[in-house]
Amino acid sequence: MISDRLKNIILKELNLTNFNIEDSTIASQVPGWDSFNHINIILAIEKDYNLRFKGLEILKVKNIGELQKLIDSKIQS
Amino acid sequence: MFSYIDFHKLLQLFIFDPQDHLYLSTSFFLFLFFIMLAFYRLFAKSKNAKIFIIILFSLFFYYKNSGYLFLLLFFSTFLNFYLGNWLYKVKSLSFKRFLFLFTILIDLGLLGYFKYTNFFIQILNDLHSGNIQPLDILLPIGISFYTFKAMSYVIELYIGTMEPTDSIKNFCLYMVFFPNLLMGPIDRARVFLPQVETPNIITKEDIGRAVFLIICGLFKKNVIADYISLNFVDRVFQVPLRFTGVENLLASYAYALQVYCDFSGYTDMAIGVSLLLGYKIMDNFNVPFIATSIADYWRRWHISLSTWLLDYLFKPLQMSFRRMRIFGSALAIFITFIGVGFWHGANWMYLLFGLIHSTFLAVSLLTIKYRKAFYDKVGLSGTKSLKIFQILITFHLLLIGAIVFRSDSLQTALNVFHQIFTFFHGAVFFQWIVGYQKVCILVLLGYILHFIPKSIDNKVQGLLIKSPLVIQAFVLAVMIIVVVQVESAQLQPFIYFSF
Repeated sequence: MISDRLKNIILKELNLTNFNIEDSTIASQVPGWDSFNHINIILAIEKDYNLRFKGLEILKVKNIGELQKLIDSKIQS
Repeated sequence: MFSYIDFHKLLQLFIFDPQDHLYLSTSFFLFLFFIMLAFYRLFAKSKNAKIFIIILFSLFFYYKNSGYLFLLLFFSTFLNFYLGNWLYKVKSLSFKRFLFLFTILIDLGLLGYFKYTNFFIQILNDLHSGNIQPLDILLPIGISFYTFKAMSYVIELYIGTMEPTDSIKNFCLYMVFFPNLLMGPIDRARVFLPQVETPNIITKEDIGRAVFLIICGLFKKNVIADYISLNFVDRVFQVPLRFTGVENLLASYAYALQVYCDFSGYTDMAIGVSLLLGYKIMDNFNVPFIATSIADYWRRWHISLSTWLLDYLFKPLQMSFRRMRIFGSALAIFITFIGVGFWHGANWMYLLFGLIHSTFLAVSLLTIKYRKAFYDKVGLSGTKSLKIFQILITFHLLLIGAIVFRSDSLQTALNVFHQIFTFFHGAVFFQWIVGYQKVCILVLLGYILHFIPKSIDNKVQGLLIKSPLVIQAFVLAVMIIVVVQVESAQLQPFIYFSF
């Protein structure tokens, strides 16, 4: 389940007013989420949640559901 | 009867000869392939037998093209399989990292030794006016392609985006699979291996599509690319100063089409041949000349290489430079495209080609905000005229790269530009049409076929799929006869063969 907080960060970075994001949604399905905006989204998440991803962790992520799980696990630890 | 057959000559056909390659587009290959396909159908029920048939045929195919260097292909297969599977199981992160770097280092080391040793010797000689003799190194054909295929397996195991295969036989099939062994597409282990592990079913659609792709590939390579290169492009690029600017510009247009037809023609054949064996390999091209930006072009051209570099080089670099924001991305682009240039070979012109493309991409990235604001202001955003303008600009920027890529030296490239900009002589255009009628028709036809909407392409494909097998075989036979005719008029080697 994608949290509103994560969804809002993504929508704000991509200048979207609304877009249905589910666990299985992949980056290329979201309008404007290209490899350059990808970095902006990652930086925005790091700033908002005050955490830092490792390179390998992010490369492993296949969809937004997995990104949510990664964020959750980082917050808990 | 047998007294008429020269067995010695017959045997020679099966022995490695550096002057006589076995391309997918040659009639001899097609002959052997259809015999092999008959055996393949005979053993249709035994998956293992079919895998062994492909492996054996692939090894013969590679031996015929590269001689004893097929041992290197074996070495690469075993090395990446065993080290890859080992590193996947290792628990200690630092040891996993060590194994990963060790494997990648050997892969790149071998690639570097065979492709770049003499280039660096030359640089050393130039720098220190030394006299180190170049080494006698034979380049194993397709080494850049199969090394990248092997690396995709190890990298994904390291990142954790795929599970390893337990079967060396299946991995061997992935590595030596002859349709994409010499010139790509650089298929991903993650996509190919599951196909080996499940039953492969060849549908009537697959056969029709395969025949369509093989015919398209043969036509693009043997008719368009070979003819325009031999009869026009090569002549101009050999001595650009002997021709006017018009001819230099037309030769550049023709060369852009030639590379596309040459390389995408081979890809079409590779995909078609794979389909007949029950395997789907990735596509490499998606109408590259309708790209509206250089970034868009790299999403449409040599897709298997660009996505490989995007996933395994650009993204990790971009991630490490992320604190530098847009400048970090620009730096990652530069490094990646120096890699693209270098991947093509040990040659300053290829490096320059990479540098030119990275500059285009970086400038495009750094100015995208301002351009968008400008188009919004003048009311051009989203209009058809803007799209056409962008396609034309992108195509001509690509041409700059293509001229550098084709030229054997910087001086040749500068001569081409010099003629275009200072010795144009527009009136020569009409003489050219008369003098080079066939070239003109083929170039026009090539571009028209390229820009044809996908829907028409699909309709023709659908027609062929629906037609009886006899008709499909007849159309294919006609194309093969054309190939034999063109072959006798001297076949040109594939441009991407040496990479």
